[in-house]
Amino acid sequence: MKSRLGLAVVVCAGLGLAGQVLAPLVAEPWRERREREPALRLEPGVAAAGQGVTLALLGGFRALVADAAWIQMYARWERRDLAGTEAFARLVTTVDPRPVYFWLNAARILAYDFPAWRIEAAGGYDAVPAAVQRAVNEAQAAAALEVLGAARRRHPESVDLWVEEANIHLNRRGDPLAAAAAYREAWARPRAPYYVARLRAEVLRRAGRRAEALAWLREVHPALPAGDPGAGAEVVLQRIRELEAELGVPAGEVYRPGR
Amino acid sequence: MKGAPFSFLRLGLVAQNTLREAVRQRLLHLFVGLALALVLGARGLRDFNFGAPELKFLADCGFGAMTLFGSALTIAATAQLFFSELENRTALTLLAKPVWRAEFLLGKLLGVALLTALFCALLTGLLAAVLWVREGELMALDPEGFRGGRAVSYAMVALGGSLQWLRLVVLAAFTLLVASFARTQVFAVVCGFGVLVICHLQHLAQEAYTRAGSAVGVALGGFLGGMFPNFQVLSLADSLDAADLPSLATWARLTAYGLGWAVAAGLLAVLSFRRREI
Repeated sequence: MKSRLGLAVVVCAGLGLAGQVLAPLVAEPWRERREREPALRLEPGVAAAGQGVTLALLGGFRALVADAAWIQMYARWERRDLAGTEAFARLVTTVDPRPVYFWLNAARILAYDFPAWRIEAAGGYDAVPAAVQRAVNEAQAAAALEVLGAARRRHPESVDLWVEEANIHLNRRGDPLAAAAAYREAWARPRAPYYVARLRAEVLRRAGRRAEALAWLREVHPALPAGDPGAGAEVVLQRIRELEAELGVPAGEVYRPGR
Repeated sequence: MKGAPFSFLRLGLVAQNTLREAVRQRLLHLFVGLALALVLGARGLRDFNFGAPELKFLADCGFGAMTLFGSALTIAATAQLFFSELENRTALTLLAKPVWRAEFLLGKLLGVALLTALFCALLTGLLAAVLWVREGELMALDPEGFRGGRAVSYAMVALGGSLQWLRLVVLAAFTLLVASFARTQVFAVVCGFGVLVICHLQHLAQEAYTRAGSAVGVALGGFLGGMFPNFQVLSLADSLDAADLPSLATWARLTAYGLGWAVAAGLLAVLSFRRREI
């Protein structure tokens, strides 16, 4: 008995010593990995996830588990279960934060579906006062923007996340200037589609910032390839002309391509 | 074994015999078959994939199969190969000859390490082939999307396979450590799975104790955490992008970490086994 206890102490001490010696070897890569992976931190989503995350962490089937959780999320979405939908959407982005798709759609559900469900549950658009509707929209937009902010920490070069942020500012919060700022960020990302630049100008124009819109289009136009229909260089030039006419730009100061 | 020095040749013979015995086991065929089926069948699961790029999804399924079935195989094979020697009395016959107990036990560990190396090499090769073929098909469908050539870093796939193997070797060493003093095979298998869970989730337990603010909990968590390796560290190959390939120094550190734990647990298993009455 004494011998077995002694052996147990020696084994524990040996393992503890090995841990002390070996842990510093991987301290740096482990710290970096934990910063990248929310599933490796004890965040509320992980703590509440239980078996799903455990399976994902143990088995390595992160994509499969995330997909299964996404289907579960849709089952709750169909029932308009706000708490369940949000919990599963957050779980999916925690288990597998790599696909932008999950972040984007989680933000869209929060920003567009949730306000509609909440207002309908409170009596419908005709019964709920406009101020309350605005407050609901604002709160849900803030929740969606928080999701997009978290997504950007993981995907700093994603154009789609900035475009979605701009759309939420524009369509849910009614803030065209914040939308314009987000479109500018989207345009600054690598491989940004050309329409982002045109959208920014249009948003500025609708917000009454015509001079700013004109300056933006003048800045962007030289970068648009003439032979690419997607770039819409001709359309942009036409808009420049329209804005110049609206603003009464003197003939000597009009934009001249290639100069 | 007075007079007969420790022999790597004998250790190698035990390892060779262990490997030969292991490949005859039906359990091995079952796990290998399931893992191969999952890697090959992952393409059929694409309809359930929403977020991840298809090639990443296939890689996840492949590495998931390697972890899940590899862990089950390692634990079951290690316990089975060890206890079958004791139950069939072959260990008694063997150890009556000039064979060290250390040679016997480390030979078992080396045999299982070779078995898991074959398992990981087979699955990694198959996964790489599946990715290569599918990537070729995707390139043909969307040449614009692959303007820069192939997107998958096959070095990353190989690194992922090697890290999986390291995990399995550590797991085998810990299972052997438990088996060295356990009375039954079932106990060793259950403890092996317990070790697997602890090694994967111990960091979360430590964080939970720290957040709870319990000094006893923190001390206990730190104590237990220090006695087990962190398997999450050995999952660094989480991307297929060559840009995410860890540096050679990081790879060397990870290898030293994995092998260090395997050696430590293996030596402690020898120490424990030396005192065991067979």
